[in-house]
Amino acid sequence: MTGRIKRVAGRLAACGIVACGAAAALYLYGMLPFWAYAAVTVLGFPAAVVALFLWWMADEGKEDIPFIGY
Amino acid sequence: MGSLGGIPLYVLEFGDELVYFSPYTITLFLLALTFTLLAIVSRPERQVDVAFGGDAYTTKIISVDEMRFRRFMAIACGLASMGAMVTGDVFNFTLFTAMVGITNVGIVAAVKSPHVQDAAYQYGLVALSATVPLFGAAALYAAATGSLSMIELAKGTLPAVPLVAKALLVIGVVGEGMAPFYAAKAEMFRAPGAPYVIMCSLSSLLIFLRVAEVVMIG
Amino acid sequence: MIAELVLAMLFGLLLLGIHRKVIARIQRRPGPPVWQEILHAAKFSFKTTWVPATASGALFAGIVLVAVGIWTAAFFVMMTGGSLLIIFGIYMLHKIVEHAFGLSSGSPYGKFGGVRSVISAASEIPLFVSVAVIGLFTGSLELTEITAWEAVHGPLFFTAFPAVVAMYLVLLSKMPFGPFSIVESKELVSGYKTEHFGAWRAGLEVCNGLKTTVLLATFLLVFAGQLPVLWMVIGMILLTVSLSFACAVTPMLSPFDSVTIQSLVTALMLVYAGIVFTGVLP
Repeated sequence: MTGRIKRVAGRLAACGIVACGAAAALYLYGMLPFWAYAAVTVLGFPAAVVALFLWWMADEGKEDIPFIGY
Repeated sequence: MGSLGGIPLYVLEFGDELVYFSPYTITLFLLALTFTLLAIVSRPERQVDVAFGGDAYTTKIISVDEMRFRRFMAIACGLASMGAMVTGDVFNFTLFTAMVGITNVGIVAAVKSPHVQDAAYQYGLVALSATVPLFGAAALYAAATGSLSMIELAKGTLPAVPLVAKALLVIGVVGEGMAPFYAAKAEMFRAPGAPYVIMCSLSSLLIFLRVAEVVMIG
Repeated sequence: MIAELVLAMLFGLLLLGIHRKVIARIQRRPGPPVWQEILHAAKFSFKTTWVPATASGALFAGIVLVAVGIWTAAFFVMMTGGSLLIIFGIYMLHKIVEHAFGLSSGSPYGKFGGVRSVISAASEIPLFVSVAVIGLFTGSLELTEITAWEAVHGPLFFTAFPAVVAMYLVLLSKMPFGPFSIVESKELVSGYKTEHFGAWRAGLEVCNGLKTTVLLATFLLVFAGQLPVLWMVIGMILLTVSLSFACAVTPMLSPFDSVTIQSLVTALMLVYAGIVFTGVLP
């Protein structure tokens, strides 16, 4: 269980970072229109950030019920 | 004030009816699409109720039949919102808005709780009566300017749209889901089934956002 | 632009830290260090993370992505001087995001936070009548054209002061610990974010950082015009400090009072918009 989520999150984070980086580089060299660069970043940035957090988290717990009071 | 939401990037014409994508409408369209996809792929949550005075709790489970119907209504609501976001025709906009109102009632009417059904019924009455100013506004637009196309209205060559038509359009949209009637909708929001309930509030906000653009052109 | 995006996020979190510090000092507490919110985001990102057993999984996780995504889009719109309507639209959709955060977990606390968020939308959103007023004055809602208009006619801050007040109230409604922060009041534990912990909460912090920067910078762009970067930063810090004062000296209102006050201001704004409409336009 732990391994699988970590692996998927790692791949997703890598894809997101590569996509954002590539889009930024292509836009800088004038090979990508601005709207495409913006679209890739809007989609890629959240995925990269959240997946990165999921990938480097210290540990994974077992799911439980929501907090219902002290 | 021709291009409030930015310059139209793409116009798709079906004779008189047209669909156009400007930076504004495309943003709203994509958000409607995102939430519709979320409604399709998410399973409803199980709402937790705390038993008073102890550690016990219960969860509400939505039956498969109920879930199917509500998911269908949520998707219909998403499609109607998407249509209302990109249409460039005032009448089509009012039509999609009326459909959003109907599907909003549908999303919650399947919940088997008297409070929720009461709220859905009351909201249904408001939405029903709001169609009168809504379609009345579209009729006034056509009568006063001779066109229902937002692109034509934005050019500024047509006669000005009377203020009363704009006011009726806003009243219609408000009745279909906006501000003063949220008090009744709050009961609806308590219903379990987050992905579907969210479509109610999302569609209302989206049509409000779009009507802000529609009344400012022409 | 990605470097700017990350900087904007960190700067937004720093502003939220300053906000907490100022509130604490006014209330004669030592308060956390100003970079506390950045540490917060980092801390949450290292926490054990899972999805609650009762949650609607795809929505629970997906909404975090949507939250970061919409404010990334808003940041792009602001940086390129796009339409104010889009930023206004994204602000409104943040209400739906809060609603989805609250409802997706099945938690009773989250649920009430989410419901409050949507109810307060009813009163907060009409405050955007001020956007229409700005449109009436400048003849456009594109940020570039608004700033160009201001370069010729002077800042809107003086021309349309009631609109400044209304927008300030919008900013105040979004600041934590403010009189209108009913969505995260303590009787609801953490309101809509109660069940989003660990990496999810860190994602939400990223969204909060971006949101704070975008809203404050847009406020300055619209009402003070295009300023040099240094002045922009100073302006945003001063704006935060003034908001902190407002938050520190007012108690949190009850949901009912919060909605009533915002509705009253909206009514005043409608009157003002009517006056501008008849006065400015021929």
